[in-house]
Amino acid sequence: MLTFTVFLLFLCELIVPCAHIHPESSVVQIGSNFTAVCVLKEKCMDDYHVNADDIFWKTSRATVSRDQYTVINRTSSSVTFLNIPLINVLLTCNIRMFGQINRSVYGIRIISGLPPEKPENLTCIVNEGKKMMCQWDLGRETHLETNYTLKSEWATEKFEDCKAKRDTPTSCTVDYPPVYFVNIEVWVEAENALGKVASDHINFDPIDKVKLNPPHILSVNNSKELSSILKLTWTDSRFKSFITLKYDIQYRTKDASTWNQVPPEDTSSTRSSFTVQDLKPFTEYVFRIRCMKEDGKGFWSDWSEEASGITYEDRPSKAPSFWYKIEPSHAHGTRSVQLKWKTLPPFEANGKILDYEVTLTRWKSRLQNYTVQDTKLMVNLTNDRYVATLTARNTVGKSDASVLTIPAWDFQATHPVTDLKAFPKDNVLWVEWTAPNEPVNRYILEWCVLSDKSPCIPDWQQEDGTVHRTYLRGNLVESKCYLITVTPVYADGPGSPEHIKAYLKQAAPSKGPTVRTKKVGKNEAVLEWDQLPVDVQNGFIRNYTIFYRTVIGNETAVNVDSSHTEYTLSSLTSDTLYMVRMAAYTDEGGKDGPEFTFTTPKFAQGEIEAIVVPVCLAFLLTTLLGVLFCFNKRDLIKKHIWPNVPDPSKSHIAQWSPHTPPRHFNSKDQMYPDGNFTDVSVVEIEANDKKPFPEDLKSLDLFKKEKVNTEGHSSGIGGSSCMSSSRPSISSSDENESAQNTSSTVQYSTVVHSGYRHQVPSVQVFSRSESTQPLLDSEERPEDLQLADNVDGSDGILPRQRYFKQNCSQHETSPDISHFERSQQVPSVNEEDFVRLKQQQISDHISQPYGSGKMKMFQEVPAVDAFGPGIEGQVERFETVGMEAAVDEGMPKSYLPQTVRRGGYMPQ
Amino acid sequence: MRVRVVPLLLVLHWKQGAGSPLPITPVNATCATRHPCPSNLMNQIRNQLGQLNSSANSLFILYYTAQGEPFPNNLDKLCGPNVTDFPPFHANGTEKARLVELYRIIAYLGASLGNITRDQKVLNPYAHGLHSRLNATADVLRGLLSNVLCRLCSKYHVSHVDVTYGPDTSGKDVFQKKKLGCQLLGKYKQVIAVLAQAF
Repeated sequence: MLTFTVFLLFLCELIVPCAHIHPESSVVQIGSNFTAVCVLKEKCMDDYHVNADDIFWKTSRATVSRDQYTVINRTSSSVTFLNIPLINVLLTCNIRMFGQINRSVYGIRIISGLPPEKPENLTCIVNEGKKMMCQWDLGRETHLETNYTLKSEWATEKFEDCKAKRDTPTSCTVDYPPVYFVNIEVWVEAENALGKVASDHINFDPIDKVKLNPPHILSVNNSKELSSILKLTWTDSRFKSFITLKYDIQYRTKDASTWNQVPPEDTSSTRSSFTVQDLKPFTEYVFRIRCMKEDGKGFWSDWSEEASGITYEDRPSKAPSFWYKIEPSHAHGTRSVQLKWKTLPPFEANGKILDYEVTLTRWKSRLQNYTVQDTKLMVNLTNDRYVATLTARNTVGKSDASVLTIPAWDFQATHPVTDLKAFPKDNVLWVEWTAPNEPVNRYILEWCVLSDKSPCIPDWQQEDGTVHRTYLRGNLVESKCYLITVTPVYADGPGSPEHIKAYLKQAAPSKGPTVRTKKVGKNEAVLEWDQLPVDVQNGFIRNYTIFYRTVIGNETAVNVDSSHTEYTLSSLTSDTLYMVRMAAYTDEGGKDGPEFTFTTPKFAQGEIEAIVVPVCLAFLLTTLLGVLFCFNKRDLIKKHIWPNVPDPSKSHIAQWSPHTPPRHFNSKDQMYPDGNFTDVSVVEIEANDKKPFPEDLKSLDLFKKEKVNTEGHSSGIGGSSCMSSSRPSISSSDENESAQNTSSTVQYSTVVHSGYRHQVPSVQVFSRSESTQPLLDSEERPEDLQLADNVDGSDGILPRQRYFKQNCSQHETSPDISHFERSQQVPSVNEEDFVRLKQQQISDHISQPYGSGKMKMFQEVPAVDAFGPGIEGQVERFETVGMEAAVDEGMPKSYLPQTVRRGGYMPQ
Repeated sequence: MRVRVVPLLLVLHWKQGAGSPLPITPVNATCATRHPCPSNLMNQIRNQLGQLNSSANSLFILYYTAQGEPFPNNLDKLCGPNVTDFPPFHANGTEKARLVELYRIIAYLGASLGNITRDQKVLNPYAHGLHSRLNATADVLRGLLSNVLCRLCSKYHVSHVDVTYGPDTSGKDVFQKKKLGCQLLGKYKQVIAVLAQAF
């Protein structure tokens, strides 16, 4: 027992705090001042050797400034907070033990908030069959837990409080059933830690706050006697047995969106049915109804469920729209006329249309009647004027007749409408016009979609003659071009139609124009494009924009009027690739077409011609002038280019040459040991025989080949200068001249190895020709050559001079002839044999075609070439052998070719 | 004949469906209401009577229908308005007298309706429609009683009215309970029509 007591004392000591704070817990109003006092217990003060000076305050771990402390006495310290904000903090009283150890000894929670405001706008409602519910406005936020209690009482009795739920503090539904015709007083009390406030009391009879259940419509019945009424019956609240109700009845046609109201004074008393009047025949009407207390106190019930009924039929109230169309007819004197009419809308048909009755009357003829269930009738009419009437019939009766005059075929329509306009507005397409001066019975509006793909299938509608503005009552679609026609109809027939195009709603083109170049110049390009098809325009094309750019350049845009189909881009750069595209714009936007590229040319058209032609002309002129100059100055030119070769005939070498070193003359090796030649002689060997040369002529053949290979390096006797020039014609003529000058008195000399013109030969050799043989005898007697040719052509014997031919084209016979003649004079058996044999062998082949022989000779050229440059030395060796053979057999023949220049001669 | 005088305020605290009549506790008449009575009090009383009258017959039908045979076919024998101790009403009396008599009748009906409701919840526990109508009628009677009291108090300064109650049915057998209930509702239908006419 003692132990237990000690334990209790210990526990008490543990749980007994060292201090306490007054007040224990506090809810403080925002904006007020608050003071808390911490009182230390004596025991703690003794145990920890502290007093009030050691107290310090904290709010949620933050130490309160000592300015706010007040040491009241040895045990108590207070802290004061001024103008408390919105807080919810823990305020602790702390002591500092032994000067350094802090310890919390007590704490309280401080919550700030506001007292509740007086609830306002208290209202109550009693839904029929449910309990009363009241609601109110809370006022400002209190930041504190606030209870709202709805209180109610009779004059003699108090009801249980209705405590608002936390989540719906602005309303409360009482627990007791409503009792009508007893005033009840209701108010709301709001209460929290900072105060309690009650709303104003409201006193009312719950019957004045009732919201009845909506009536239930039982039926909507029509009347055969009156096509303009419907009787509505309903059941409504049981309240009608003890209170007076009033009703609100609304109705509308089935397709309408707005409601019509039955006059309230007609439904201000309790009832269960009502007959609605002034309705349209054969029209479906929708009704709804609601009710409330007759005196207007309380609330309207919700609307009842809708109920509908159809009024009874009546005769059509209007004549149908009536029009016609003359079809092309092949029969003479008659017309196929399609009469067409519109079905009456329900509000004009007043019932189900059973059929239409059409009558046609021609002047002084009987009436034709047609009964049609369709809305069109095709009739064949003469070219006369007709009057057609149309009536629609339902179960009750017929409509008024619609009269249409079909004029005679030669009728001239006049008096069209003016100022025809069409514009979209409120999602419909309006048409407006100015009426003609003549009285118009009615107007016919026709319209169709313009399309490149489908034909124009018109729709139409009729308007009264007094109408000058209407909208098209068809299923129009957006982005389609409509061609609208307005035709006034007069008493004697239709007037002239007027047309206009319009869109219900435009859009950007679905496709852009395709641009292309019509002409591309150096600095400009003509672009052209086609107008967009109407199917892709989607609106009126207002303008085009051409965008063009180079590969690296910025894009340039050019606006072009929609009426244009081509445009010239100027200031372009030549020889540049341009990319161009085009956009078409309607009022609603644009669409780009495909991109097109083109390159501007480097030169403009004709520019090249302008440059080349003058240049060519100048060149030709210069050439011509040059030729003329050369022609005029040919002697001077010849003197400079081809200096006169000393005429051997006038040479006096023989006189001044001391002796003739024959060996020098004939031995080329001795004379030019280094193998250089100062002049060239070419000997042409010509053969018509295609057959290979016989063996005994091979040496000659080789000789010929060697001549070909060594052309340009051989030196000829007789001062032949043809080969000294690359212009043989001039050389030839010069040589001719020279040959003529030498005549027969010139002695052959040895080779005069002197430099050509100012060239100094390496070896100065002076020799004198000891020969008295006339030089270039053939040139002095060309008739011999002709004779030889004739002989050659007549007896097939190739003249000897054809074997060796100097490469001087115009005088090729001269050396040959001289050679021929010289050959005859040379007393050498071998030489003669050789020539004879050669001549004989060639003559053996003379019968063969010359051309083929020529071909044979060409075939031999590759054989020569087959030796190639690599065997040039060998060829020269053959040449040398040939020469040596000639030398060995006798005195060297100075007129024979000394060397054969390679390449200087080609077989002809 | 058992006639008991019931303190007025106790009557006001009568709860519907009470099993037994309220205890008789004499109280000194100090007429006071919680808040002023409305000016249209008599009109409200008339409306309440009309409300009760409009539903009395249907309540009667609903009751005997719910009791089953032999009640529907023997209404005259079983449901005749043979309530011996029903408070009298004199329609030609003064308003005060009529209000006092009305007060007694309503108190009697209220107590009896409480007994019937209690018995029917036992005898016909699934006749919710009947229960609901009985409760609604009792609520209306309760409101009517409040209005009459308010009128008597505010205008005629009547602090208390002697009232009587019908027989206690708690000890009766089932048939007797049904029969007494049916007789009471028959009487109620008859009386309420008179009262509705009287005011």
